[in-house]
Amino acid sequence: MVESAPLPETFSDLLGLEQFGVAGEFLAGLLAAGLVGTFVLLNTAVAGPWAKRKITASFTDRISVNRVGPWGLGTIIVDSVRLLSKELIIPEDADRPAYDLAPLVLAGSALLGFAVIPMGNGIQVADPEVGLAYVFAVASIASLGLLMAGYSSSNKYSFLGGLRAVAQNLAYEIPLVLTGASVVIFAGTLQMSEIVAAQQETLLQLGPVAIPTWFGILNPFAFALFVVANLAEVGRNPFDIPEAPTEIVAGYQTEYSSVYFVLFYLGEFIHIFLGGALIATLFLGGPAGPILPGIVWFTIKIWAVFLFTQWARSALPRVRIDQLIEIGWKGLLVLSFANLILTAVIVGVVGV
Amino acid sequence: MSLEKPVPDAPDEVGVTEDGLDYDALEELVSEHVIDRESHVNAEALVIRPDAVQDTLSALKEEAGFDHCSAVTAQEYEDRYESIYHLKKFDDPTQQLSVVVPANKDEPVSESAESVYRTADWHEREAYDLVGIEYDDHPDLRRILLPETWQGHPMGKDYNQNQPQVVPLREHVNPLAEDHSAGEDSDTMFVNIGPHHPATHGVLHVKTVLDGEQIADIDPDIGYLHRNEEQMCEQSTYRHQIMPYPDRWDYTPGGILNEWAYARAAESMADIEVPEYAQVLRTMSAELTRIAAHMLALGTFGLDVYGDFNAIFMYAVRDREAVQNILEDLTGQRLMFNYFRLGGVSWDVPEPREEFFEKIREFLDGLPEYIEEYHNLITENEIFQLRCIDTGILPPEVAKNYGATGPVLRGSGVDYDLRRDDPYGYYDELDWNVVTEDGCDNYSRVLVRMREVEESAKIIRQCVDLLEDWPEDDREIQANVPRTLRPEADKEVYEAVEGAKGELGIYMRSDGTDKPARFKIRSPCFSNLQTLPEMSEGEYIPDMVASLGSLDIVLGEVDR
Amino acid sequence: MIGLLKSMATTMKHALDGQTFTVEYPEDTPEVSPRFRGVHKFSQERCIWCRQCESVCPNDTIQIVQDDQRNGEQYNLHIGQCIYCRLCEEVCPVDAILLTQNFEFTADTKDELAYNKEQLKNVPWYKDIDPLEAREPDRGAWIGEGEGEVDYQ
Repeated sequence: MVESAPLPETFSDLLGLEQFGVAGEFLAGLLAAGLVGTFVLLNTAVAGPWAKRKITASFTDRISVNRVGPWGLGTIIVDSVRLLSKELIIPEDADRPAYDLAPLVLAGSALLGFAVIPMGNGIQVADPEVGLAYVFAVASIASLGLLMAGYSSSNKYSFLGGLRAVAQNLAYEIPLVLTGASVVIFAGTLQMSEIVAAQQETLLQLGPVAIPTWFGILNPFAFALFVVANLAEVGRNPFDIPEAPTEIVAGYQTEYSSVYFVLFYLGEFIHIFLGGALIATLFLGGPAGPILPGIVWFTIKIWAVFLFTQWARSALPRVRIDQLIEIGWKGLLVLSFANLILTAVIVGVVGV
Repeated sequence: MSLEKPVPDAPDEVGVTEDGLDYDALEELVSEHVIDRESHVNAEALVIRPDAVQDTLSALKEEAGFDHCSAVTAQEYEDRYESIYHLKKFDDPTQQLSVVVPANKDEPVSESAESVYRTADWHEREAYDLVGIEYDDHPDLRRILLPETWQGHPMGKDYNQNQPQVVPLREHVNPLAEDHSAGEDSDTMFVNIGPHHPATHGVLHVKTVLDGEQIADIDPDIGYLHRNEEQMCEQSTYRHQIMPYPDRWDYTPGGILNEWAYARAAESMADIEVPEYAQVLRTMSAELTRIAAHMLALGTFGLDVYGDFNAIFMYAVRDREAVQNILEDLTGQRLMFNYFRLGGVSWDVPEPREEFFEKIREFLDGLPEYIEEYHNLITENEIFQLRCIDTGILPPEVAKNYGATGPVLRGSGVDYDLRRDDPYGYYDELDWNVVTEDGCDNYSRVLVRMREVEESAKIIRQCVDLLEDWPEDDREIQANVPRTLRPEADKEVYEAVEGAKGELGIYMRSDGTDKPARFKIRSPCFSNLQTLPEMSEGEYIPDMVASLGSLDIVLGEVDR
Repeated sequence: MIGLLKSMATTMKHALDGQTFTVEYPEDTPEVSPRFRGVHKFSQERCIWCRQCESVCPNDTIQIVQDDQRNGEQYNLHIGQCIYCRLCEEVCPVDAILLTQNFEFTADTKDELAYNKEQLKNVPWYKDIDPLEAREPDRGAWIGEGEGEVDYQ
């Protein structure tokens, strides 16, 4: 893989924006962010109204959307129009600024995380040295958004959902970060591009198939932990209790409609893809892969994670809130500490 | 023969003799309260003083072993009101006794039986609501099916159908004005779960007080689907018009099982003998509906515990669909069968018979594989076990006291199944088992249903074999029943069958016309739902939802 | 853990086998059993106006109006109220009423669901299935006389 500069620099080189100084830099950054954002939103747009239905339908032996356009792909447009044209109903007692901001916070926080993800072919908005820490930091802002939504809706179900979301995120953020830290120990850096680069060597050569040193292969235990914690982080079965339709109707988003609902819906999917991007970057070699260009491999990997979340939804019951907290604090936290210490010891002894 | 009920270690119960109940001994037991004796078709009835209900019933419960208060029927005569407590024994439901409590016409008050049988709570509230008898000593005598603003008691004789039935809130105590919060410094939160909520399986309203995520207090509020089916049946003729209605009580579809409840009561009242061939057809079709109903119960329970993207619901519906296709071939409809007639069934199996039998066999042969799949998907899933084992506990004694029946009771380890204990149809000739589980939790109730599907499959297979070999000139599907059925006046009968949800009983009183004078439905869901507070108080909301799912209520049958 | 994996394997198996059990409804119409009870078809030529169907109907769906010569004038069916119990077909001595296999009908208002005899006559057969060929209306129940006195109601 070719080492390439972050996307804004590529843009400024291409368009000769350097001569405009700070303004040029800003413009280049904006262009890069626009490109990455479009890429992410495109993925969620396909995922939300169309792929999710298709995937769920195939797990449940149904046909699902196929009326509009080839394979029902037109549903994406139809659904967006439908959702956006609905009446925006705001509860009388809603806590206004918070109520309006919550969807933005949720969707925005997840989008921000993509800024530092290397997507291959040099598509990366920024590559700061604290990249990983930054992703975890912005991703966890989402729980603030959920709490705001839950609290400001002035609905008891929303309130419960918001509280559940916070309790859940608290319990699973720590194992997530700790497991991520074990990768940092391997890679010796927090910089995302370096983490990807550290996974490019060949571990084993089996005939024509080269098994790379992806951390998911080096440390499958950490990989499994991260995937589980990530499921909880994005709120999918068996950890979808902040929404839990059969218990608290729709949790924090019960009172949201129209555009706000779209933002929530979008935010959720962006979150799943951010989780996928993290898993891909930390454990699956980022955009690495044979033959196809990096961005294609990256897309395949995040979609594989998305598919996995839907698969888990079809087969796994949701756990109860107290069990969830118990699994988080007593199970995953301990395991992730053990993983961290073991990794540190092994790396220290072997000296990778 | 697998159908032998384990013999209980012969308790010393008053009135039990070698050949049935000795009603004289029972009368002797409570003689100081008895004022008269009646003879109902199914059992003898003791008429007692309205102020001695608790004494009488507790004596009968403690000393004569009548531990099952199946139903409470209230009705109004020209000169009096009457409440009938239909008593049975869980050990042997053929031993029945009715306790009739007359009440004054002007001031209908009688003592409540709630302290003896917990199940009488809701039954008496229903009697108060619809007929207007007031029960002394009742802990919570409110309307149950009708809204609180309803005027009058619709099944009373002097009820004026033309007056406005619901008055505006301003003319009545406003139920919304009640402040549900327990003050400013309270830690609890009041939440209305339902009437429109993804987990209530219909329009059920559960008033819940939450302490954090735990349930501090819970009160199911029913009646949103109430249509007074009892009155509708009272306005229909015995012979044909009532039969389509039972399909609509339990539409999951328990239809044929419900039809059987009415058929059994009416046949017992009019003394109609059903041909054996028709009995086999009835048994087979009834068990098919049981499979369909249990499949839906399983699927919706999956929805409750898994969330709305799970695969179980669709798989269960797929299998239910197979049953419904068979039933459609047989009865002509997929849900509202109207298959039974008094004295038989409306149709023989469709021609060509072999093809039909082949279709059933094909389904039965595929069933073990499906069930294996459900076990893989549901019962062996660790998270499912985590969620369902030891949640929603219903101890057997509590279940009995609440009159819970069907899979709910069998999931609490009580061996009670009317198909075996009070045999009807062709069940006692066939080889099958009553399924019980001792867990008393949500998991056992689900497991009981899954295992019952297997037992039903066994029954169906035997019925198909029987039907196939039945001599052609002996295929009588209906007995000779008069076109208009007019049972003699003042016959009273209470008969129950094992419906998909439990004991479905029908009480009927004739007045010499071709329509019943009183028609009372003892709905199993109604009694089962009463146990919800017992199961879920102190538990988490998700467990309450799971318990509700494992009770498998159908609101059409709860509200009737 | 094994149970979880088994569950996930089960759903994945279903996803991969590519079978669906739902159908694309209007294009792929379901098979209906010969005994299926759908919208009524009424044949005025056969009807002898005996009004038995009207009296047996459990919820007053059928309304018959006769002139003073007892000749039939109107035959109205409130199809929105019908519960498809088939009692009217069973009771009809001349096969004037048939419940066709047709289950597809719709209306915007309740009034449109009240069909008169002309409309009932024009109810289409479903996939050209004539239920009379497929099922013999069994009238065993209607000629029963019981043990007692014969009751010609």
